[in-house]
Amino acid sequence: MASESVKSDITGKVWKIVCAVGDSVGEEEPILIIESMKMEIPVLSPCDGKLVRLLVAEGDDVAEGQEVAVVER
Amino acid sequence: MPFDDYIAEHERRTRHVLDMGGPDRVARHRAGGRLDARQRIDHLFDPGSFVEIGRFARSERREDWDRTPADGKVCGYGRIEGREAAVVSHDITVKSASSSPINVRKMGHMRRAAQANGMPLVLFNESSGARIPDTMGAIGTGTLGQDPQQFIRIRDIPYVSAVLGPAFGTACWFTQLSDFVVMRKDAQLAISSPKVTAIAINQDIDPMELAGWKMQSEVTGKVDFGVDTDEEAIGLVKRFLSYLPSHHGEAPPRAEVPAGSDAAAASMLELVPESRSRVYDVRKVVAAICDTGSVLPLKDRFAKTAFTALGRIDGRVVGILASNPLFKAGALDPDSCDKATSFLVLCDSFNIPIVLLVDTPGFLIGVEGERRKAPGKVINFMTALQLCTVPKFSIVMRKSYGQAYLNMGGTRNSDEMLAWYSADVGFMDPNVGVNVVHGVRHEDDPERFAQLVAEIRRDSSAYDLAGIFAAQAVLDPRESRTWLARLLEVHQRRPQKSIGKHLMGNWPTTF
Repeated sequence: MASESVKSDITGKVWKIVCAVGDSVGEEEPILIIESMKMEIPVLSPCDGKLVRLLVAEGDDVAEGQEVAVVER
Repeated sequence: MPFDDYIAEHERRTRHVLDMGGPDRVARHRAGGRLDARQRIDHLFDPGSFVEIGRFARSERREDWDRTPADGKVCGYGRIEGREAAVVSHDITVKSASSSPINVRKMGHMRRAAQANGMPLVLFNESSGARIPDTMGAIGTGTLGQDPQQFIRIRDIPYVSAVLGPAFGTACWFTQLSDFVVMRKDAQLAISSPKVTAIAINQDIDPMELAGWKMQSEVTGKVDFGVDTDEEAIGLVKRFLSYLPSHHGEAPPRAEVPAGSDAAAASMLELVPESRSRVYDVRKVVAAICDTGSVLPLKDRFAKTAFTALGRIDGRVVGILASNPLFKAGALDPDSCDKATSFLVLCDSFNIPIVLLVDTPGFLIGVEGERRKAPGKVINFMTALQLCTVPKFSIVMRKSYGQAYLNMGGTRNSDEMLAWYSADVGFMDPNVGVNVVHGVRHEDDPERFAQLVAEIRRDSSAYDLAGIFAAQAVLDPRESRTWLARLLEVHQRRPQKSIGKHLMGNWPTTF
């Protein structure tokens, strides 16, 4: 099982986490939603797999390129 | 000599060439789930249409004459869905399809014939690079470069590449020159092989990190599609060519309109959220506007804030460039600019009208963008748009702000500018604008902030845009498809017989 790092492609604040650790996720399915530029911007899974780690909590600030979760293929 | 002897000798020589690198090598190659160089050609061309050019070419080194059938690159002409095309299919079973003076001569012949006769050049790329020892030393290297036109791209004909195995050296260079690239997920594409690279820089190299499909489709953006099989790759090559004219002096072929193609447009209001803070996937909007099943995304895994695709509306080929709010809210970054520019070059070179769908907060600004030459890339994109001579239609769906408004066809940067009634146009997002102009933040004074946002938003509607005739029509989103179909009928550049000026035909493929 290969792990894939999930990174935020934008700077902002974690508004809502929509997946729990252990959930199955599909490629391009949202894992959490960042509030940035007054928009709700999803962070999407890079592949089909299972969410194994969440590295941020609601309300956290995240930077562009920051790892926010890990998905196992 | 009696004819019977000629016949026997001809058959012997023909069999020898058709056996390629010999039964063992061919069997090993096929065992990896791959088609061989000749099977690939069979899959590409209409049955019975292939004629081979250079079948009896071989290495110029006498000791290799018997070991280099077709000198490792199988070439010829055939028809794809009835239209002529030229092919170069690297035969990895013959000296790893390495490039030699003779087979490079064959490749040059195919390119010149394709250009002279206006037909696409298809390349099945799989080669270890330059042949050793043929190209060693001053004598070997000096024999290269006999063709001073070898790497000129003027986009008079489409170049299409399928990377089906290791592709280094010439196979890599021609992939870079190609308008469309599909790559097997177990193939490799790089200047030199991971082995040679590791030795040269004295470092361990992960082959996939250096040359894998993800690297080439997500980081460099050179590869349009990653696929699992040769058949899938060849199917995509044929599909891409079905949208293109055979050469730049023709309009793209028109297709039948699949039944029910008008139905999806009715769902447009469900695809785009009413709340401006919510994002959506513009690919669904594109699918609803185009003929059913006609959308072919290009570089879909690269620079996702810009979506580029070929498609058909009412059977006519269009190139669609759309900002995609699903990624970075649709803010265009340096990679998106590169992607947009290369797409405009492709469409304009092959007489494909362009549709721009706009919902973007603007260009993504920041230190990283400046380091990556964002201003130059924005203006490359803008220059490309203004150099286009094919018809351009722009639809503002929701947001269109600042310079991005112009880059996405604003005002006279498209032939017809349309706006959905939900369009919102201004110098920047009103929420950000309040901060910039008045220095007021929402968290400090929500009431005053809301009042100032309303003030900035005033005069920014679709009707304001239409009122100064910057937009030529205000639409219900559900009317987009019928409007575009009608405009494509009107804007056919009849005096020029639908052929553009191709002012960017010689722009670089890779920026």
